[in-house]
This record gives sequence, structure tokens and C-alpha cells, in this order.
Amino acid sequence: MIKIENVHKAYGAADSRNEVLKGISLDIEEGDFVVILGTSGSGKSTLLNVISGLESADKGKVCYDTKDLSVMNEDDLTKFRKEYIGYIFQQYFLLPNLSVDKNVKMGADLAGNKNYREIIKAIGLDGKEKKYPHELSGGEQQRVSVARALAKKPKVLYLDEPTGALDEETGRLVLDYICKLKRDLGFTMVMVTHNQNIADMANTVISMNSGKIVKTWHNERPKTAYEIAW
Amino acid sequence: MIVSFKDIFKMTGILIVSFCAVFVCALFLNFYLDVLGIEDMITTETGKIFYEAQCNTAKMVSALSGGCLLLTTVVLLCFYVGHYIDTHKKQLGILKALGYSRIAIAKDFSVFGFVVLAGTGLGYFCAHLLMPYFYKVQNKEKYLPQFEVAYHPGLCMALVVFPAVFFALLAVGYSFHRLKLPALSLIREKTVQRVVKAKKESDLPFLTELKKGNVRQRKSLVFFITFAVFCFSSMMQMSGSMDELGSRMMGIMTMSIGVVLACVTLFIATTSVMKANEKTITMMRVFGYDAKDCTKAVLGGYRPWAYLGFALGSVYQYVLLKFAVRVIFADMEGIPDYQFDFPAMCITLIVFVLLYEAVQFVYTRNMAKVSVKEIMLE
Repeated sequence: MIKIENVHKAYGAADSRNEVLKGISLDIEEGDFVVILGTSGSGKSTLLNVISGLESADKGKVCYDTKDLSVMNEDDLTKFRKEYIGYIFQQYFLLPNLSVDKNVKMGADLAGNKNYREIIKAIGLDGKEKKYPHELSGGEQQRVSVARALAKKPKVLYLDEPTGALDEETGRLVLDYICKLKRDLGFTMVMVTHNQNIADMANTVISMNSGKIVKTWHNERPKTAYEIAW
Repeated sequence: MIVSFKDIFKMTGILIVSFCAVFVCALFLNFYLDVLGIEDMITTETGKIFYEAQCNTAKMVSALSGGCLLLTTVVLLCFYVGHYIDTHKKQLGILKALGYSRIAIAKDFSVFGFVVLAGTGLGYFCAHLLMPYFYKVQNKEKYLPQFEVAYHPGLCMALVVFPAVFFALLAVGYSFHRLKLPALSLIREKTVQRVVKAKKESDLPFLTELKKGNVRQRKSLVFFITFAVFCFSSMMQMSGSMDELGSRMMGIMTMSIGVVLACVTLFIATTSVMKANEKTITMMRVFGYDAKDCTKAVLGGYRPWAYLGFALGSVYQYVLLKFAVRVIFADMEGIPDYQFDFPAMCITLIVFVLLYEAVQFVYTRNMAKVSVKEIMLE
């Protein structure tokens, strides 16, 4: 479904150019759960940005089925993100002056999804629809951001350190909800994390270092959020 | 010194508004003071009526434009100081953490008074350059005896020095108030934002909800946008009638002040809305909302208020001019009764719509340029 071919990305001026991605190639199958592992500065977040259409690669190709992201302009990329992509960030980024259900509506309206309240229920936030982000705990806020991303019915869900700001108990809870919804809705999932234990939950694990993929492996029997160590 | 002279060069808005305020007030008040000096020399009945009318006009124009522009300068200065603190929170927090007292840091903001000094000084100087011509135009019918432009040191102090001192103190006072956050909150760049909840829950589309939420959250900006368009509408329409009631010069002056005041206020208010919604816009772009949707949600809620400002401005200028003709110039011969100028309103409306939509267009283009990656780096 997603084909990445020899992707390069660098930042900075010519004399102080920092090459962050050095010829990345990989394939992601539909319905896969891919974890990208790596230490800080390994290029994992940049790879996520490039394959999710948040920024363009300097060289190489990123293709979704027949769509080639590398030839798209900003408007096309916006349209592409609208149709294909859902995001969950470490810092939640909820809209502070809107209640929970309005935040979820942000995603739902893009897909014309009238049943977005079911996702709020499924994520365990039933009864908190009228609360505002500042009235919720960190775990609850992250669940709202999960509901917001899924309400737009994405084909691919990208998660950037989704449990990075959560404690162990809440982190497991959020991951468990996401995996349950993945089973029910069948979307593809790509997660960036530095937590090696979370990699045990994925089908495919990609380990990165200094802008290159150093190892790729598959888990025969992925673990649940409550089976992994933390 | 954390606030440098380099920073004050960015405050052109204050420079322009303070220039306009002092320019108008200096012209009319200097004229008023000089006319007062020749009161005993006026012997004819027409001369006395004309003298009264000129004195009243000078007082009214100075009070109205001076008052409006003073208010705008206060708002602008607070905006700039607030903006400076918001964008330099980390540095200010570190200074506080190192042991600098609030007042020691706030004292630095007094340099903002120099911008006002530059504006008022320039305004006063330009007004004096124009004064001989202005006196000639004001007395073109020769109802008043010949009199020369005199220099009034008191007026110079009141219009140039005092405002600069006042605004320097205001900048210190306001920054002192804004710096009350603990050092750690400043370093972490935390903003205390009060969330205004909706009174009634509704099931409107997201974009409509966001539009309403934005207006609810920033009521002060509703006032500024309404005020900006009010100034534009009233002063533009008034300038058309000034040709008949006053002079062409007064008309051009009124129009210029209206346009400058409206543009500066509108620019500041719109920038402020955009700045406050930076994260929202970025998230919307990440999710796939296009720039037009973002503009609609972030700026669209203020449009009805802008049109309300236009309507209020039209009514206000009509009432003011009617009052001027019926009361101030009541005894003057040759002053026609004032009727609502419908063509002037239509032209002003067209110019306003073009200007307002151009501003929306520019900001839509800026929204399209927002880097969606920025948010990932936080």
C-alpha cells in the first residue's frame, strides 16, 4: 500500500547541511502495524513527517497505491491528508476553547462522519463530551486526540510518541484502546517511539540510526498493551 | 538591557497614530490659541459668529480625533508590550530566575516612550510647517482680522513631551503587570488562557463552532475590529461633506486619519487573532482543512461585527454633522443644511468591502504558507 523508495531529506544551508534521512526504502502493507524505533536524532520523526505528507522529501519517492506524494504541491498534499491520514501527537494539540465532542467533530466533519459519538463512547469518554480539554487528565486528552484522528476515518494512522507524556497505566490504557479500534476499523498504523517495549505490539518493527534503517523484523505474535513490559 | 532601541523600530503603528494625533491637535489647538489672542480685535457681527464657530470646531476636532487616537495609541502600546513579553518569555523568565526584580525588568520598557516622542515630535513639526497655509484656508473669507502663527511652548509640552512621558510610564506599568507570572512559567512559555465556554451546546458543523468559539474567546478583538471599521466608515463619509462644511484640506485630513486609524487597528487586531490561533490553524492544516476553511473559521466570525461597525459609523457621522450644522454653525450664513450623503456611503462601502476582503485574502495566503511541520517540533 505505501511504498517508500530511496528517500533523502536534509536541513540547513549548503555549508552546514545536516542529512537526516539517507536513502530510506520500505514497504508498508495495508492493515499493518509498523513501529519505527530509534533514539533521538535518528531521523524517525522526519521519516514520519515525510511519509505522512507533512513535508516533502528532497529525493526519492513516497507512493500510496497509485498516488505519488513527491510530485504533489501543498494543496494536493492537504487534500491527500484529508482523505488518507490521521495523526496522534505526543502533546495532544486539542483545541482549548472547544469541548470534547467539538474537538472530535474536527476530524468527523472532514469525512462527513455523523456517528462520531460512537468513537467517543468506544474510547471510554462517554459522559465527558461537554468537558473542555483543561478539565481532562493527560490520558483523557490523549484519548480525545485518538477519537479525533479516528473520526475522520483515516486509511493510515500516524502516531508520534503517543504515550510519551503519559504514565505507565494511562499509556497502556491508551495503546489498548487504539489497538482495539484498529482491529475493529482495520486501518494501517505507523507509530514512532523510543520505547522498545512498545515494539512488541507491532507486526513490523523498523529500527533506525543516523538516518538509516539498521534492522527490520516481524513479530509472529504481537503482544497486547498489557502483555508488554514498560 | 533586554528591550533595545532596535525593538522600538518595529512599532511603526504607534509612530503613525501618535503622529496623526499630534498633527491634527497641534493644527487646531495652535489656531484656537492664536484666534483667542485676537478676540478683542473682532468687531463685526459676522466675525464674532465666525470666531465662535472656529473655536468650537477647533475644540471639537481636537477632542474627537485626539481622544480617538489617544485611545488607539494606548491599545497599540499595550498590544506591543504584551506581544514583546509573549515572544521573549524565555529570556524574561531567565532574568527573573537570576534575581532581577519585576520593576528592574519593567523599567527597560520605558524606551517604548521614545517611539511616541518621535511620532509626536514629527507630528508637531509637520503641523507647524503646514500652519501658515492652514490659517489662510481657515480664514479665506477674511471674517477675522489678519493674524500670524505663534509658537506656544505650553502646547508643545502638552502635545509632545507629556504624551511621551505618559506612554513611557504606561509601558513600564503594563509590563510590570504582565511580568507577574513566576519565573518558571515564563521560562516554560506557559500562557494563562481563560477558556470561555459556550452558554448553550449546539450541534453545528465544526467550522461554525470554531468561528463562534473564537469570537466568544476574544471579545476585545470584536471591539477593535468594530471600532476600526467604525472609524473608517465615519471619517471617509465625513470627509466628503467637509468640502461643503469646512474645507477640502479638512476633508483630506479627516479621510487620511480615518484610513490610517482603521488600517492600523485592523492590522493589529487581525494579526492578533492569527497569532492566537496559530496552533489551531496548524492542526487544521495537518488534518486536511484548506487555507480557505482556516480563514473562515478564524477570521470569519468577525465579519458581521465589521459590517455593524460600518453601519454605526454611517449613523454616527450623520448625527455628528447634523449636530454641527444645526448647533455649532447655526448662526453662520451660507452653510447648507446637512442631508445624508447616500452616494458617499455607497462609495465608502465599496472601498471598505474591497479593503476588508483584500485583508482576508492576504491572510488566507499566509495561512497556506503555515509550516505544518512546526507543530511536530514542539
